[in-house]
Amino acid sequence: MDKHQARQLDEIRAERTELENHYIDELVAGRLDRRQFLRRGSMIGMSTTVLGTILAACGSSSSSSSSASAAGSSTTSGPAPTAGGTLNVASVTPSAAVNPLTVADAGGLCMLNQTGEFLIFDSNLKLALQPMLALSWGHNGDGSVWTFKLRPGVKFSTGAPMTADDVVYTFKQLSDPKNASNALSNFNNVLTPDGVKKIDSTTVQFTLESPNGNFPYLVSSDNYNAIIVPNGTDFGSWQKTFVGTGAFKLQSYTQNVGASFVPNPNYWGKKPLLSGTSFKFYASQQPMILALQGSSVDVIAQFTPAGATAILHSPSYKIIQLKSANHRELSMRNDMPPFNNAQVRQAVAYSLDRKGMVNALLSGFGSVANDTPFGPRYPSSNLTLPQREQDISKAKALLKAGGHPNGVSAPLFTEIYQEIPQLAQVIKADAAKAGINFDLKIESQTLYYGKATYGNSDWLDGTASLVDYGDRGAPNVYLEAPLTSTGPWNAAHFKNSEYDKLVKQYVAALDLTTQKQIATKIETLLLNETPIVIPYWIDGLTASTPSVGGLNPTSIAQLYLNQAFKSA
Amino acid sequence: MTRFVLKRLGLALITLWLLSVIVFVLGQVLPSDPGRSVLGPLAEPSAVRALDHQLGVDKPLLTQYWNWITNFPGTSTQYQAPIGPILGPALRRSLELGLFAFVIVVPLGILGGIVSALNFGKPVDRTISIVGQSALTVPEFVSGIVLIVVFAVELKWLPVTATAPTGSGFFTDLKYLILPVIPLVLVLFGYIARMARAGTVEALESDYARTATLKGLPRGVVIRRHVLRNSLLPTITVIATQTGYLIGGLVVVEVLFRYNGIGSLTYNAATQHDIPMLEACVLTIGVLYMVVTLIADIGFSLLNPRIRLRAAE
Repeated sequence: MDKHQARQLDEIRAERTELENHYIDELVAGRLDRRQFLRRGSMIGMSTTVLGTILAACGSSSSSSSSASAAGSSTTSGPAPTAGGTLNVASVTPSAAVNPLTVADAGGLCMLNQTGEFLIFDSNLKLALQPMLALSWGHNGDGSVWTFKLRPGVKFSTGAPMTADDVVYTFKQLSDPKNASNALSNFNNVLTPDGVKKIDSTTVQFTLESPNGNFPYLVSSDNYNAIIVPNGTDFGSWQKTFVGTGAFKLQSYTQNVGASFVPNPNYWGKKPLLSGTSFKFYASQQPMILALQGSSVDVIAQFTPAGATAILHSPSYKIIQLKSANHRELSMRNDMPPFNNAQVRQAVAYSLDRKGMVNALLSGFGSVANDTPFGPRYPSSNLTLPQREQDISKAKALLKAGGHPNGVSAPLFTEIYQEIPQLAQVIKADAAKAGINFDLKIESQTLYYGKATYGNSDWLDGTASLVDYGDRGAPNVYLEAPLTSTGPWNAAHFKNSEYDKLVKQYVAALDLTTQKQIATKIETLLLNETPIVIPYWIDGLTASTPSVGGLNPTSIAQLYLNQAFKSA
Repeated sequence: MTRFVLKRLGLALITLWLLSVIVFVLGQVLPSDPGRSVLGPLAEPSAVRALDHQLGVDKPLLTQYWNWITNFPGTSTQYQAPIGPILGPALRRSLELGLFAFVIVVPLGILGGIVSALNFGKPVDRTISIVGQSALTVPEFVSGIVLIVVFAVELKWLPVTATAPTGSGFFTDLKYLILPVIPLVLVLFGYIARMARAGTVEALESDYARTATLKGLPRGVVIRRHVLRNSLLPTITVIATQTGYLIGGLVVVEVLFRYNGIGSLTYNAATQHDIPMLEACVLTIGVLYMVVTLIADIGFSLLNPRIRLRAAE
């Protein structure tokens, strides 16, 4: 950094808050790279211009990324943009009504984002939070009150203006425990309807139950139910109109078959390039891949590597690969034999060939994980802790030290979902080498999850249980629900007061240094205790023909097509 | 004949009512509940309770059954939308696919069986039997994928999916249905041909066929008037019993060819615990099945007056 840049940076610093300056320090010291800085800065509400100026002052150009511009400006390379044409997209069939309050599946949430927009967009392509319907946001100092300034001049597809009343209504409904809201799993112990308040027509304030440093993620596209709908909307009949503020509006929606969208003339942002989009619903992945190969569709919104070799390794298709925290979690009952001994649980962890799993089950489209929710997706993760590798003799020794020289046996419950049954087979084979004999119980998802409460669910009650967790922009949910003493998804029945205390501190922490310090403690504790095993992180995958460009997917199956195009 | 038909209709209504009760009761023992199915496994229990209450599935069983009967076909709990507009088009599509397959496979199967029987023990017979039986053992998802890869992906002669764009004409619709129909034809051909062959062989060896030949009738007349009329009776029964499969059992073909018929709708309703939708689908398939067996029985009695008389007694 030269003198001029240093002076420029000092000038910027003078106007920044303490927390913002902390991130600038981290950037200057090299502890945050450009991407992480954009990501953290955008989360605490620093504007595009400020982030750009700081990066420029530090000698790092932000122009290639334009991180905080409106969502939709994808960076995927490819053919030159062409206007017009209808894009045919293969998407998984929504498994239930497209109701913003209740949607819980990939097909449904992909439909929500076709016309709906969030306060903030969590971009997987740029790994940063981007302003969408909120222009800026900030907190009261301890992260217990967050204030959002809304984008002015936004209109719904009906022509009605979007104001603070609509935002307040949306979040009051989503956070109301009396409602059938799927977002309650995010807002539980964080936000109640009383905490949502309109300050003026373009300002909304959220008063939280307790300080939360990652709250912006909960009003972002991460919380996929939280698209802003008009005040007074009847959620049950939303699927008739798909009213939203997005670049497209509904033309037709047919349950089980498909949906089509046309540009929304009232859209606040850059006009879409396409003259329309047509979604075709598929009940499984294989027909989608065949449809792309047979030119029946131009894009597959999201797919998994298993069974997709034909397009993954072919130059005829473009693959967008997104780093994500999507993972599988093997929990072991800490409160009953044989896994009530940490050494036995560690033995399981050391018996697994994680690299082999990533190659065989994910065709390499993923990365190994280290049995804690902290991975490369999160800047607070301490990735210097030694990565666990397969070590059969160590696993055997641990088993012996744990009082089981002749090995152990236990049932392992899991669900029929994506590559999980095959993963269960691999875990069984690997663990058997160390003398751990898993008796696999592979069940349909309804049977496996049951009522999803303790005592009524193989997922939560099984001696060992293997489950899937979708991507999240912040690790809070992974740290809380499946691992804290009172967590509702604690299949490991892990109860550790020290852990609970650390998680509480982590959630409340606002600056990265503190988050990193606590994360290291949590990671160390989890490695020692090993209540769960996380073998790998799975990349998000979207495929298209080479003529398609401008796609903006997320790793949880959203797909923004604002700037998508299909060249002739 | 009228009495025969009326009696059968009466029995059909009782059967359908029993079917509805069985589906309703069995639906209650399925794991999970409608609210949980819609909201997913990770939803808060309070949200699931709220949705179950909204859908009315937390009411006593008899009240639910009464509500369902009085609002038939009612609203799908899964799609939160009226059942009619979802079921109607799905049924139409299934009927189109089933009928197309039927029109191709029935004459083909019967012809194959007769040709086999007339060439009993000869290479033609062996070839038809072996080809038919081999095709029968190839699952639809295997033959379907091979067909798609060859004819849609590589040669690009036919479309990958079975659903024609909206507003397409009759022949375009047919073109889209060619690929999905082939696996069905492959599965059913061997079955029908085998029954037709067995029936024809038996009839050819019967006393009446021998008598007809001995009294000097030409071979063609013997086969047409005496052999076929008797040999096709078991074949008709077999064809009728395949209707349930052809209309409601095509889940694999429907999924593979993205053809949203009543088969996958029924399957989804069962897995998603959508009882009103499941009832509507099962009863629709039940009605179709009964209509087809009734037609088969009438056909049967036309071919063999003894059956008609016995039934009327």
